Amino acid sequence: MSKKALKVVVSVMLIAALIVSVFGLVQGNLTASASTQKTVKIKFLSNLPDRTSNQGKLEQMLIDSYMKANPNVKIEVEALQDEPYKQKFKVYVATNQMPDIFMVWGQPSFFLPVMKAGYAAEIKLDQIKGYGFKTSSLKDFMYNGKLYGLPRNTDFMVLYYNKGLFNKYKVKVPTTFNELLNAAKVFRKNGIAPIAINGKDKWILAILYQELVVKESGDQKLIYDAISKKSVSKNQILLKAAKDLVNLVNVGGFQDAFVAADYGAANNLFAQEKAAMYYMGSWEVGMAANPNFSESFKKNVDATYFPIISGGKGKKTDILAWHGGGYAVSASSKVKNEAMKLLLYMMHPTRWAKIGWQQGLVVPGQNWEKFMTGKETVLQKKLTQIFSSATSVSGTVWQDAFTPNFKTEAETLCQMLVAKAITPEKFLAKIEELAKLEVK
Amino acid sequence: MARESSFNKKSRAVLLVVLGLFSIGQLFPLVWLIDFSLCKSGDVYGANILKIPNPPQFINYYLAWRDGKIPQYFINSVIVNVTSVLLVVLFSLMMGYAFVRMEWKWSNKVLTYVLLGLMIPIHATLLPNFVIFRQLKMLDSYFALIIPYVAFSLPQAVFLMTGFIGSIPRALEESAIIDGCGIFRILFQIILPLSKPAIVTVTVTTFLNTWNEFIMAATYLTSDKFRTLPFSVYNFAGQYASNYAVQFAVMTIVALPSLIVYIALNEQVTKGVTLGAVKG
Repeated sequence: MSKKALKVVVSVMLIAALIVSVFGLVQGNLTASASTQKTVKIKFLSNLPDRTSNQGKLEQMLIDSYMKANPNVKIEVEALQDEPYKQKFKVYVATNQMPDIFMVWGQPSFFLPVMKAGYAAEIKLDQIKGYGFKTSSLKDFMYNGKLYGLPRNTDFMVLYYNKGLFNKYKVKVPTTFNELLNAAKVFRKNGIAPIAINGKDKWILAILYQELVVKESGDQKLIYDAISKKSVSKNQILLKAAKDLVNLVNVGGFQDAFVAADYGAANNLFAQEKAAMYYMGSWEVGMAANPNFSESFKKNVDATYFPIISGGKGKKTDILAWHGGGYAVSASSKVKNEAMKLLLYMMHPTRWAKIGWQQGLVVPGQNWEKFMTGKETVLQKKLTQIFSSATSVSGTVWQDAFTPNFKTEAETLCQMLVAKAITPEKFLAKIEELAKLEVK
Repeated sequence: MARESSFNKKSRAVLLVVLGLFSIGQLFPLVWLIDFSLCKSGDVYGANILKIPNPPQFINYYLAWRDGKIPQYFINSVIVNVTSVLLVVLFSLMMGYAFVRMEWKWSNKVLTYVLLGLMIPIHATLLPNFVIFRQLKMLDSYFALIIPYVAFSLPQAVFLMTGFIGSIPRALEESAIIDGCGIFRILFQIILPLSKPAIVTVTVTTFLNTWNEFIMAATYLTSDKFRTLPFSVYNFAGQYASNYAVQFAVMTIVALPSLIVYIALNEQVTKGVTLGAVKG
């Protein structure tokens, strides 16, 4: 009896196993027969899951137009949000299965290990002649003098502000740090949040700290040098900048509970005209045309330089600017040439830069001024003016310039500083400790 | 007597208030979700906790449906989840019976081995499974999800089933054998109908776990063809761009099936959990 039962169980399991393997075979065969045809399949790994707006829309548009122009090419896009993207990226790296073309962050904390390990294919400089990339924009996509990726956008920090609120409360748009502190006090009195900021995301605080260091010193290199040389705690300028930041917190410069506010919360606070200013990067250029925001907001939104500090050496035109996301082609790809063609097609100045700018989707990494039509929004014009008048730019921000671990820890320390969990002196001491551990 | 009943009344009132508050707390997020799924994206972080949508933005649902590729992902989710749940129920029932009622040499050790699965974290298995699936050419298929879903749900399901089957009186099976029942008839005609509460519990827990699962799906799937519903939510999220209202609409749609399953089977679940718990 039980022997019979055992036989039945075993045979059921065998059948199940057979079914599974047959399915596996069929799938294997399908992919095999597809590759014998002449279609070229390119796997594209992107960090832009939203394909209907902003950069994701632009990316998809260019991919679609490429497939239309090359009917034998089929591009399979896999788009994941940043965190799942990093997870999946690790899986691909660990199993040596890199997609043919993939998004990279042009920061040493992300891209350097990828280039070092030889996962990315070299892009010859004469392949991108006339593409309008400035050498400085390619710096973080290069290793040992060779280029391995192309940046998508120019990212730089500005202070967005609401003209309507400044007029209503008769406040002058701040050009110095003291004016900023005074403006903050006035807005506080009237129940308006002075500056909306996403303190929960931490990185913004680290960037703001660097902004203050630059405005204090006028020296873009200072913070990087101090960390490389591990002489942070004794540096008076770094200390002053940390105190400035705490000062801004003390006068109520940010919205209530800003340490717990995420990106959307800060953005919406500003967009609903409940905050007078918003410290954020150029990628928010689309705010002035966003159909989800009110007409009154869109009429009032404007942007300016981050204020200078009286007594500091920095100019208002010393800005924080870098090139974040970009693309690279896999070195081990079977369709490397086709993937490279696609990359060069997308990043051609008449595509990513021109279409992206004219549709108000991005601030491109290439020179975009020649694509101005005169129909730009106020923000587009202001941002162009701010960037083109820059007298010095930072490059990759300080927390991204070292190891991934440094980034995480340094950002957390910045959050602790603004939450007043540590004093400015302690903050610098901790950063120095961190530098000793993480920076060789 | 009179004192006791007035005390009862009081305690009843207190209980009602507490439970009322509790249910408001539980239901509020849902109301909030549905409310803002009908507002404009910019309204989410306003001063009001709830906002009367004026006019209701039904377009959010349309966008969610279209851009979130909900119909396609939904079908995938249904295929993967229904198959997983059926397999888990079938396997756990058979295994539960084999462990509790059948006498064989390694019975206890194998049961312990299966239950060890409860302690394995999903993240530790992502990479090895990815490699195995790749070599079997099973990446990017329904099986790449069904197999790990079943494997991860089985330990808990077997745990519930063994507890439950143990509580069924042996006399029933004995009389069935006397009437000439074979082992499969005992299992499917006697044990199966009696185990309904346990089966429902297994169904619901497996369903809820796998319906919302994202990390395995994100790892084992590469193309759009087999993606499941949680991807819809992620299609609208980005670090720099978030259409909150449409995301809320997506989440409402995604949450509905689990809600319906839970509401429909709620009573059985409670029964199944408690009956499984008091194993003798």
